[in-house]
Amino acid sequence: MTAFTLWPEDVVWRRVSPRLFWLKALVRLLLVLVLAGIGAGLWWYTERWEAVLGPAVLSALILLRLAFLPRNLRSWGYAERADDLLVRHGLLYRRLSIVPYGRMQFVDVTAGPLERLFGLATVQLHTAAAATDARIPGLLPPEAARLRDRLTALGEARAEGL
Amino acid sequence: MTVEPTLTPPVTPTPVVPRRRLHPLTPLLRGLRLAVIVVAAVSWNGFQDLGMQRWLLAVAAVGVLLLIISLVSYLATGYEVVGRELRITEGLLSRRNRAIPLERVQSIELVQPLLARPFGLAELRLEVVGGNSTEAPLAFLTLAEAKALRTTLLALSKPTPEADSGPADAPVPSLVETPPPTEHPLLTVPTGRLVASQLFRPQWWLLPVAVFIPLFDYQRGGDVGFVALASTVTAILGALLMPVRAMSGDWRFTLATAPDGLRIRRGLFETRSQTVPAGRIQAVMVESPLLWRIFGWVRATLHIAGVRVEQGQQARAGLLPVGTLADAELVLATAVPGFSLAQTTVRRPPTRAWIFAPLGRLVMGYQLAPTTFVTRDGLLRWRVVAVPYERIQSVRLRQGPLQRMLRLATVHVDVAGGGLPSVAAHQPVEEARWLALELADRARAFR
Repeated sequence: MTAFTLWPEDVVWRRVSPRLFWLKALVRLLLVLVLAGIGAGLWWYTERWEAVLGPAVLSALILLRLAFLPRNLRSWGYAERADDLLVRHGLLYRRLSIVPYGRMQFVDVTAGPLERLFGLATVQLHTAAAATDARIPGLLPPEAARLRDRLTALGEARAEGL
Repeated sequence: MTVEPTLTPPVTPTPVVPRRRLHPLTPLLRGLRLAVIVVAAVSWNGFQDLGMQRWLLAVAAVGVLLLIISLVSYLATGYEVVGRELRITEGLLSRRNRAIPLERVQSIELVQPLLARPFGLAELRLEVVGGNSTEAPLAFLTLAEAKALRTTLLALSKPTPEADSGPADAPVPSLVETPPPTEHPLLTVPTGRLVASQLFRPQWWLLPVAVFIPLFDYQRGGDVGFVALASTVTAILGALLMPVRAMSGDWRFTLATAPDGLRIRRGLFETRSQTVPAGRIQAVMVESPLLWRIFGWVRATLHIAGVRVEQGQQARAGLLPVGTLADAELVLATAVPGFSLAQTTVRRPPTRAWIFAPLGRLVMGYQLAPTTFVTRDGLLRWRVVAVPYERIQSVRLRQGPLQRMLRLATVHVDVAGGGLPSVAAHQPVEEARWLALELADRARAFR
């Protein structure tokens, strides 16, 4: 069974904070509220029940995705190997990024207003390649700081430039 | 043991090349270039409104104004080489002093526009990572000065182990005494083949159509207005512009190896001589359009960081505009040692991947060559991309829902600059996972 999973199993995967669920859920609920508002507006304006169909379907889809959200968030993971960082993500579309520490150009730690509300931060690793996709959301600030410090230290030790 | 804290200010390194101005003819040429554009833009309307005399007067006034602006900007512009940096000062109102660390220079191009050639002037362009356009175009210098400066900059661009100990101890060639490095010509593209290769492009096929439709219209008694004719001519010219530009751009394409890097010379009206120092080549791409395959011709391009990706094909440095497989092998052996087209035998996706690429499956695949990661794709217009392991920036593994059902996955390899299709698609999942981790390991080990 192991042979057919995309992600390597012989590394220690770290998970993102479960608080990320509440953040994502809040965002989705806000979206549903906005859609409900639009639907109500349309109904009031056109006085036809068909007008509500669009927003209703969209809301239903969003709520359906909410049901898969916990599994989706559990799929986020990162592993610090000796020489590279692995980041995995995805349920339907699965992805794994491997970035050797020596290729790192800089590290971003960002926290948007909603993330700050939940006490979360996002760490993103940048290399000279624009396509590099190594972003880890939903980290607690101490863990984000630890990861950043470790990545920069390792990046300096193994710096190779381009 | 204590060290006395010294209060002497940090020593400013002595300039390798003291501050210089550009060539005195620069404002004239720049002004002329701008004037041509301005005159072209206003001429028709202006000519009709103003009449001959006043129009000439207006043009003269614009010309003088542009000349003054160019002169002022010329007087404010200067460059110098200090330590391992090229410093360029420019601007009168908002001054800018840009320092370019020469270790970061990815390629240097010496360009001689048509207008500058009679005066023996040239422009020097530096490509730097992170620049969103060609940074630091030094225009214009005399050809000799530009060549000498290029030699100096290239000598300084070599990453040396003692780079940290300061530039003062490294013997640095000065601008005057440096002998030009000896070049070994590797390959010249015959003009006949270049022209023929551009004639075998789809653009020309539309030419008969474009010509015959108005003729057909005329035959049927329709009356061909000026607008119809003009638009036809414009369309034809537009369609033919690309092959013609490619032809004139790659005219007398010559590739040579010099001690300071790979040198590419080309151009009919505007001659260019680009130097790519060793270790700046991120990847190479070899492709063969369908029609070229009749003759066994291929095209090879270099991928260099810092060259804009948006410009696409044009921005990639041509390594071989058109050539036989033997030519390509010769060129590739120099650009990416250890990579050979003849030894490229790719591992193809398994049979169950037919649903993603029913026919493409037969040609696509990857190979872990001795020094490079090689991928191939394209049934009609085949394409081989080779990335030296040490240039891999990151590796990504992707799997869509259908791929997951079929136990397949795709490996993407990212190089500096991006936009390069180095992809091993639809491989068995266990193999793809192994490949991704192996590539990351090799990326490190080959440094």
